[in-house]
Amino acid sequence: MIPLVVAHNTFREVTRDRVVAGAVVAGLALLAITQVVGPLALGEGGRLTVDLGLSGISVLGLLVIVLSGTSLVAKEVERRTIYNLLSRPITRPAYLVGKWAGLSAALWTVALLLGLALWGVLAARGLGDRGPAVLQGVYLAGLELTVLTSLAVMFSALSTPVLSALYTLGFYAVGQWSYDLRGLAARLPEGPGALLGTAASLVPNLPLFNMRTLAAEGQPTTWLHLVLASGYAAVYVGCVLCLATAAFESKDFK
Amino acid sequence: MLVPTPIDSVPNRPPVGRGTAEADPADPDLAVCTCGLTKHYVHPWTLRRTRGLEGLDLGVRRGEVLGLLGPNGAGKTTTLKLLTGLLKPTRGRAWLLGRPVEETASRRHLGFLPEQPYFYDYLNGLEYLELAGRLSGLSGGLARDRARQWLERVGLGERPRLVLRKYSKGMLQRLGLAAALVHDPELLILDEPMSGLDPFGRRDVRDLIGEQRERGVTVLFSSHILPDVEMICDRVAILMGGRLTRVATVGELMGDGPQAVEVRCASPALIEMPPGWAGVVARTERAGETIFRVEDETRLPEVLGRLLQANVPVRAVTPQRPTLEALFLAAAEPERARRSA
Repeated sequence: MIPLVVAHNTFREVTRDRVVAGAVVAGLALLAITQVVGPLALGEGGRLTVDLGLSGISVLGLLVIVLSGTSLVAKEVERRTIYNLLSRPITRPAYLVGKWAGLSAALWTVALLLGLALWGVLAARGLGDRGPAVLQGVYLAGLELTVLTSLAVMFSALSTPVLSALYTLGFYAVGQWSYDLRGLAARLPEGPGALLGTAASLVPNLPLFNMRTLAAEGQPTTWLHLVLASGYAAVYVGCVLCLATAAFESKDFK
Repeated sequence: MLVPTPIDSVPNRPPVGRGTAEADPADPDLAVCTCGLTKHYVHPWTLRRTRGLEGLDLGVRRGEVLGLLGPNGAGKTTTLKLLTGLLKPTRGRAWLLGRPVEETASRRHLGFLPEQPYFYDYLNGLEYLELAGRLSGLSGGLARDRARQWLERVGLGERPRLVLRKYSKGMLQRLGLAAALVHDPELLILDEPMSGLDPFGRRDVRDLIGEQRERGVTVLFSSHILPDVEMICDRVAILMGGRLTRVATVGELMGDGPQAVEVRCASPALIEMPPGWAGVVARTERAGETIFRVEDETRLPEVLGRLLQANVPVRAVTPQRPTLEALFLAAAEPERARRSA
């Protein structure tokens, strides 16, 4: 169970960092702000709260990934703490999987804490019936962050923290437009269209994890959507971690 | 940044009978064995190749303490990193306790202390040792118990919850040693374990290594500090420019070639140096004493006899042990001569 040991340590590393605490505080502050400006939303205060609450989870989670996740492995190599790990009976894939699992666990904790706070605010406003939709929204946001974490860990294992952050942000931005990219690819001539279609398939399909509009209206999504999103996230994370370990396997630590 | 050249295709099992008498992977008495272990680095932009280690054939017997000596860039750290799986070899093979180093299981009974070890500064000492134990395969409860024991053993038990960012260099070095030993390894690989430590710290590390030797643990370590090497090593291996130039006991190394002897006289020696002493005896005048340095110990009776005959008050006769530098140079000489030829 070596990956679990590495994951536990990574979880401690991330949660003892001020970034995570800052993200939670910022998320709670955002919720408080929605309550202040809610009355100005002309009866749409509940909708605004859910929309901003779920967006906050995604954006603040992304912030944690960029500030902590993209340097997770690179920092270990740079500070040579990795010597103390890889000189023990640990495979490199187990190490990377542990890193991904630890950061993902920290992000799920942030998502659940902010999700609970959001549900509490809604319940206090008498909108407790939106609870199931909000829960589903938090779950999908957590999946989205898990997918992005795998990319951050891969880039961190192969590049510098700054470049890893840029690559991760790039994949996030392009991933948000993956539907539109596929639509554009269908309209282009065959060659460039196929190329763009392939590129669109390589970036994560992030709109799949977005149900903010539905949740804001208190409408839960279907179980099929949840199962498909979970399956897609599992396959995508698996592929990214396989790629990362294949490249990391031959890396020398001078 | 340097990147490795691709690894050669090599067999999975220790080839019986292959290797030198010194490094035969089939020998069950060997804790560490390398056959033709080579590491070259290639610069990613200039493609310039640098030799880290070339064709190392070395065997370390079980229960032995072997010191790796060599100047900076000799290949000591490269050797240790190849053995611990942190570097991939360009050519050749290595085995730890009978298992190829490519197998993760070869590190199950290995304790490793890197040069200038770095730690997770967000952990405290107890948490770090527990993590080290868990990563080496100990169960949670056992790792916790061992962590406490070892923290006490290396003198850090008084404040087990002190975070590592508040540790001094000496404390970190002791913690690193405890982390290398927390799972009772059969083989200990230490990269410059005494580097940067004060005399007390060096003594503690020496004692700890001595204790492990008593337990039958094999120790392979690199060092620049000759007195420490002399005190704790059974044998030393000298690396020069990525090549192994000599493996011998410390006594054998010290016994090589003529030994110098220093003769100290209590007052200015009113004696003229005979012409036959030129190049053999050097005379130095200091306040209140004269020192004669006899480069060849076989000439000592002659020098002493003459001094005593002249009523020079001899205060001390001290054999001069060769310096580490002198040993390096002596060991490197045959290699240099071979290359020149």
